[in-house]
Amino acid sequence: MTEPTDFELLELATPYALHAVSDAERAAIDRQLAAAPPSVVEAFREEVRAVRETMTAVSVATAAEPPTRLRAAVLAAVQPDDGRRSRWRTALLAAAAAIVVGLAAFGAGMTLRPSATPTMAEQIMAAPDVRTVSGQLAGGTATVVYSRDKNAGVLVMNNVPPPSQGTVYQMWLIGDKGPVSAGTMNTAAVAPSTTDTLTNLGTSSALAFTVEPGNGSPQPTGKILAKLSLI
Amino acid sequence: MTGPRHRSDLDALLHRVARRDADALAVLYDHTRARVYGLVRHVLRDSGYSEETTQEVYLEVWRTADAYDPTKGSALSWLMTMAHRRAIDRVRAEQAATQRESRYGASAVEPPSDVVAESAIAADERRRVAECLGGLTDVQRQCIEMAYYGGLTYAEVSQRLSANLSTIKSRMRDALRGLRNCLGVP
Repeated sequence: MTEPTDFELLELATPYALHAVSDAERAAIDRQLAAAPPSVVEAFREEVRAVRETMTAVSVATAAEPPTRLRAAVLAAVQPDDGRRSRWRTALLAAAAAIVVGLAAFGAGMTLRPSATPTMAEQIMAAPDVRTVSGQLAGGTATVVYSRDKNAGVLVMNNVPPPSQGTVYQMWLIGDKGPVSAGTMNTAAVAPSTTDTLTNLGTSSALAFTVEPGNGSPQPTGKILAKLSLI
Repeated sequence: MTGPRHRSDLDALLHRVARRDADALAVLYDHTRARVYGLVRHVLRDSGYSEETTQEVYLEVWRTADAYDPTKGSALSWLMTMAHRRAIDRVRAEQAATQRESRYGASAVEPPSDVVAESAIAADERRRVAECLGGLTDVQRQCIEMAYYGGLTYAEVSQRLSANLSTIKSRMRDALRGLRNCLGVP
């Protein structure tokens, strides 16, 4: 009933379920499954399910409490509309929506629905290539959630103290041609939990932070406080 | 709080997460963080990478919770599979990037007693898993350690151990059957 190739396929169910196959093998197995008889597919899926449930039961053996700061970072990343910066952004979005509504009224019958447009943060979260990188910044934590496909990222800062009066934190995207400013945050902008959007990541390989005088500098003059590698 | 007996609780939380309920994600995180972070750290052996990867796991949960299908397995298994996949992808990417020697040798399953200080996972549950792991043969346990925790493919395991491929596949399958029976996984 079962062809030798089907037998070989079933033999791979355990390594497949354990993620102990290469990407190429995984793709080949998926292709074979798509062409295999339903009984073989069912047996394969059942084996995968059982292996994964078993290793889930085994996961009590490796359980370990994460640092408490991770909770805030996880939740801040899914609630980008939190904190002062977002109120400012919400105001901008409201202004943009008003313009769109105005345009809609101008062009008869247009059905623009700005509220249905996902925010850049939502688009980044939804991107298949979303990545996260974190580092210490002035005693707090800076986290960048980013997508190369979207060419953008969301910066979340937790418990980073505001810069001293008369200075700003300046973000720099470091690429082949050196650092390019990615914006500044002044004392008023830095809350216990602060988010900001980074656009035009380009081919930059890292995001660096410095303290700069006044409203920021064309090139970094302060020492680099933190550098997050954007892999 | 995270055992299979709470399966329906986690199902309900995932359904709320799928509807963009951030409070539900917070509760889900609190119920599962030790398992997820612990597994990721056991694979990655680096707390910084492990925090990043754990964050990515919960972002993926946030993004894909509506794809969870309770007829195909438990919610916890869906989550742990995702966590393991991301950890393995990361460890392979790091190894490829640095040409570093695989760290499988350091990935032996630790005695669970000192891993979890204050966790909701009951001590008797951990003891039982430790006994079941102890019930495997040394070569079976070695296969699981190298592949599941070390990130090696079964072909790489076979090369390292100079054993043929079918032997390694059999050891993996027998190890999993032994664990499944011992733990009474349905």
